[in-house]
Amino acid sequence: MSKNYILGVFDDEATLVDAFEKIKAKGVLPVEVYTPYPVHEILEGMGNKTRITHAAFFYGLFAAIGILGFLTYAAVIDWPLRYGGKPFNAFPSFIVVTIVATILSITLLTLFTFSARAKVFPGKKPEIFHPGATDDKFVMVLDKESLGQNAETVQAIIKEHGVVE
Amino acid sequence: MYNSEVRGRLIDGDKSYSQISREILAPIHAKTPLWWYGALLVSLSMFGWGLYCKYITVSTGIGTWGVNNSIAWGWAIINFVWWIGIGHAGTAFSIFLLILRQKWRTSINRAAEAMTVVAVFCAALFPLLHMGRPWLFFFIFPYPNTRGPLWVNFNSPLFWDFVAISAYLLISASFWYFGMVPDFATIRDTAKSKIKKAVYGFFSFGWTGSSREWLRFEALSFVLGGIAAVLVVSVHSIVATDFAVSVETGWHTTIFPPYFVVGAIFSGFAMVLTLVITMRAMYKMNDFITDRHVDAIARVLIFISLIMGTAYMTEIFMAWYSGSEYETYMFFRTRLFGEYAVQFWTMFIANAVIPQLFWFKAVRRRMWMVFVISIIINIGMWFERFNIVVTSLSRDYLPANWASYSPTYVEIGFFIGTLGMFLTGVLLFFRFIPMIAISELKSVAKFDKPNNGKLKPATHE
Repeated sequence: MSKNYILGVFDDEATLVDAFEKIKAKGVLPVEVYTPYPVHEILEGMGNKTRITHAAFFYGLFAAIGILGFLTYAAVIDWPLRYGGKPFNAFPSFIVVTIVATILSITLLTLFTFSARAKVFPGKKPEIFHPGATDDKFVMVLDKESLGQNAETVQAIIKEHGVVE
Repeated sequence: MYNSEVRGRLIDGDKSYSQISREILAPIHAKTPLWWYGALLVSLSMFGWGLYCKYITVSTGIGTWGVNNSIAWGWAIINFVWWIGIGHAGTAFSIFLLILRQKWRTSINRAAEAMTVVAVFCAALFPLLHMGRPWLFFFIFPYPNTRGPLWVNFNSPLFWDFVAISAYLLISASFWYFGMVPDFATIRDTAKSKIKKAVYGFFSFGWTGSSREWLRFEALSFVLGGIAAVLVVSVHSIVATDFAVSVETGWHTTIFPPYFVVGAIFSGFAMVLTLVITMRAMYKMNDFITDRHVDAIARVLIFISLIMGTAYMTEIFMAWYSGSEYETYMFFRTRLFGEYAVQFWTMFIANAVIPQLFWFKAVRRRMWMVFVISIIINIGMWFERFNIVVTSLSRDYLPANWASYSPTYVEIGFFIGTLGMFLTGVLLFFRFIPMIAISELKSVAKFDKPNNGKLKPATHE
């Protein structure tokens, strides 16, 4: 696609992972790896970390406190009404709404976080290195300059099972 | 960890990855078959009839329904609970089978989730129109208003229900949609027509399948899956509290929430069966939705059917054992052997007896039989809701309040309208959306491949 990149294109997960690990052993990390489905060896090997699960926990924590606070404010402080002989602060019956609305908040906020961090949002132009990567190809993108004197070895590793493009 | 040999193959026919994409996307790229237009016409006319009945409901009023002072809840709440129950299957399938690491879910979860979204839409219409003045619907939101501000009653199960249903709709729709993003990208990259490329390109949100995206995508599914599991249980429990916290005979029981959740999953799984058997028949998806998938769902149904039977008998036992004359009267003189005996026994036989035929392999292997039983279960589940709603309301504590109920054509038309809406949704889903999760299927396809030994054991949960 571009002069500055070489692509290693593989037909299955096993050969991709094999080549990925050999190349990594040479001290070269691909710029990015594109696969039709998540391959865990690659996700771990690329060294990226995601904190989405932590973010979700804190969204949930703050949402739960906020919602419970709001219910208490509305039903106990702002305009107390007695329903069916229950006390104003009918705490147990607030829990139901708190749980469900917390789940909703976590979902929506986590989705937005995902959208922002993975840069997947409506109207985005995809950067496609190889159109087969969402279909049946496992594509490794390497930066030519960072290869240095390893260029030939890396190409040889790719060619063992894959194709250089 | 399960071994694929023990569990049977997940996909038939040794397919390559591109074959998987091509075959699942075939209905999107191929010419639309004639039966599809025919079916769409039928469902749209049902939908149109429903619209007319809704128009009558709104313009004239709830008086056009057969409900009365004693039986204030009729078909509207029956159908509401029925649709919500069907809507439970999608999340139950996606989430419970995900948590239980059942890889066979990958062939079915997309269809089940689609069904969920449409069914919850259908369900939401009933309480909305039962309000009588649906344009004042926003009164149920707790927003700062000029009436005080007078807040809604946070102690009321009807408000809980509103929160639960809205949350469930939003969450199941977004879970479904984000699961489809990688598949939309596959369509974008494999489609030949420019329009398809542009449209699916837009919906794919610029997905490329990079490791950064997948990493976060997996974390997202993990989070959403984990919390939606709580939601599956809580939503129908909340629907059950609509009944259980009232002081009506036959409703005022603690068994209601679990009984409703199980019933919901039961009817949902049955509807999933109906749907996937249709997909197999109409779109030749037999290699992806194999006999083993149908078999597995049928076996789950045997188990749930046993729970249903137990729940029915527990209710009857408790009515007798409690010594409460009202409960005894309700169960023995009204439901079992009274005015509503036909409805009761239809429910009992369709839900607790007929699904037991799935014990026989010969039944599970004959698709038409599975199909018929899945329909029978859904009819049985409808009667369960009829049984709960109408019998209890018709026999009040005061005999002076006793009344009968039969629906008018407006209520029936409303229900038919939602059936039409559901079918329309399903047909559009068949035509425009990959009906099986392609990327998830690819991730489990390798477990069928002979070169399995070369791979490290990777799990895709």
